[in-house]
Amino acid sequence: MTLQECYSIIGDYNDVMKRLPRETMVIKFIFKFLDDKSYDQLMTAIENSDYKAAFMAAHTIKGLCQNLSFTKLYESSHLITEALRNDNPDTALVDELAVKVREDYAVTAGTIRKFREEQ
Amino acid sequence: MHEKNRQKILIVDDCTVNREFLIDMLEDEFDIIEAVDGFQAMKIVREYGSSIDLMLLDIIMPEVDGFEVLAMMNENDLINDVPVIMISSENDDSFIERAYEMGATDYIRRPFNVAVVRRRVTNTLALHAKHKKLISIIIEQVYEKEKNNNMMVNILSHIVEFRNGESGMHVLNIFAITSLLLQKLTQKTNKYNLTQKDISLITIASALHDIGKISIPGSILNKPGRLTPEEFDIMKTHTTTGASLLEEIPIYKDDPLVKVAREICRWHHERYDGKGYPDGLKGEEIPISAQIVAVADVYDALTSERCYKKAFSHDKAFQMIVNGECGQFSPLLMECLTESHADIINELQIRSTEQMQEVQLQNIVDELIRCDETDYLINPIKQIEREREKSRFFARYVEELQFDYDCRTCIAVISEWGANLIGSKRTVLNIGGRDKCIINNPYINDLRNKLNTADRSNPDIESDIILETENGRMSGRIVAHTMWENDSSGYTGVIGKISDLRRIIQ
Repeated sequence: MTLQECYSIIGDYNDVMKRLPRETMVIKFIFKFLDDKSYDQLMTAIENSDYKAAFMAAHTIKGLCQNLSFTKLYESSHLITEALRNDNPDTALVDELAVKVREDYAVTAGTIRKFREEQ
Repeated sequence: MHEKNRQKILIVDDCTVNREFLIDMLEDEFDIIEAVDGFQAMKIVREYGSSIDLMLLDIIMPEVDGFEVLAMMNENDLINDVPVIMISSENDDSFIERAYEMGATDYIRRPFNVAVVRRRVTNTLALHAKHKKLISIIIEQVYEKEKNNNMMVNILSHIVEFRNGESGMHVLNIFAITSLLLQKLTQKTNKYNLTQKDISLITIASALHDIGKISIPGSILNKPGRLTPEEFDIMKTHTTTGASLLEEIPIYKDDPLVKVAREICRWHHERYDGKGYPDGLKGEEIPISAQIVAVADVYDALTSERCYKKAFSHDKAFQMIVNGECGQFSPLLMECLTESHADIINELQIRSTEQMQEVQLQNIVDELIRCDETDYLINPIKQIEREREKSRFFARYVEELQFDYDCRTCIAVISEWGANLIGSKRTVLNIGGRDKCIINNPYINDLRNKLNTADRSNPDIESDIILETENGRMSGRIVAHTMWENDSSGYTGVIGKISDLRRIIQ
């Protein structure tokens, strides 16, 4: 799998290459994304109804998606960030959006892992 | 690698990957310090202070967020020393506005464009460095100016003392006593609204209190015994003479220093109960500057040896003044004298001229930086504006094409008359380009060759040219001056004019 093929599943290859100077930098940082703990923190925080911590984690995921042009995960992480922004979030909505984030994260992280194994 | 002169950038973000992103973009050129949250950022900022050249600050962080870091930097006055670029994916305008209001210099939104982030960082650093340099130039100039002022005042007062047969210490002592009394007075009350600037004015002007003595005959001035009533009347005129001397200065008579000096000259022999001279002013009718210098003058006269008397001890002099043996002074000033007497004794024994001036100057400079920074910054900018207006004005009335070309930006600016002649805008991009070349072709190569022969010691060239103008082809003569910077290998700009313009009849 090429980086371009990897991005055809998880995001926008042209957009990331416009902003970052080299493929090697993109590859370095999509691998770092796999080590980032924000996703686990988000899920644990929602389980514990700690919505403040959930907001922080969701916000971080959203920022990473923006920088790496992960369009798929960006959409759902953006929606959940906004849902978590106020102090008393709509918990039903948060749970519903969390399902979508879980799905998108699985696809994104899974695809990157597969890409890494083939390197 | 930590080279000595690399600039330091503090990156504050709770997300490791985000920090690494920025580090990756910047570590080639800069030394990087990392903070994983706002709390750590505050600690680092307190520790390093203004040795941090730039801060990149995330807004949303757990516990202490970016706004709280900005608030702390405002409280500690660090916001003016360390430029801050905010970084966030928050696109809400109210966030951005709030960041700017709290003193952030710039705002970068995610997603990052590597080239843009680098450019903004270097621009902010360059701008800040310029700002710092300007301030230091201004401080140096003000410092130099004030030093010269003090020196002139001192020379003048020494001339008076020299004639008086005094040691020259009198002026220095008055300077010290006046300064101490003023400091004490402003601690106790603000009824006189004295600023730090007023204090330095009064202190400097105190040196001039006796300049009127220049008109008193030496026989009276240096008479060893008691003066006769007639002689004393003449002696008294040194107050009014001093004041009118300053009044008649043609240019500076409205200068704050001269005004204060005039008050002091005329009224430093007035007394609080109205029994002084020359005007018999009473109480607060006497300006506070003159009241203070009066006390200082008497104190120093008592503790110094003169041709007609021996020196009294500090304690004896103090008692005599407080008991009213040298006339009545304001009760408030007597409190000031009582409370600062120990300091006065100390100062008169240890201080040298230079030290006193250093302290005064530092106070003035501090005050300038605090209040009038912008005023002083605007002046050089106004001067540049003036120069520009001047050259625009003259260029309008000369029938020649004047131009100013910058090699780095490839932009030429042409005088109004010239631009009209060739039917172009006043600012022309890429002047040598193919599509809109104002100079007819064979001549541009000739011009280029001539310019290439110019060097630092022979920067001027001349050449004939043909111009395509609104009125057809014209011949002219170009005179140009190449500009060189300190370490540039080639010239960095060309200024010049095309004159002797004549229509070519086909």
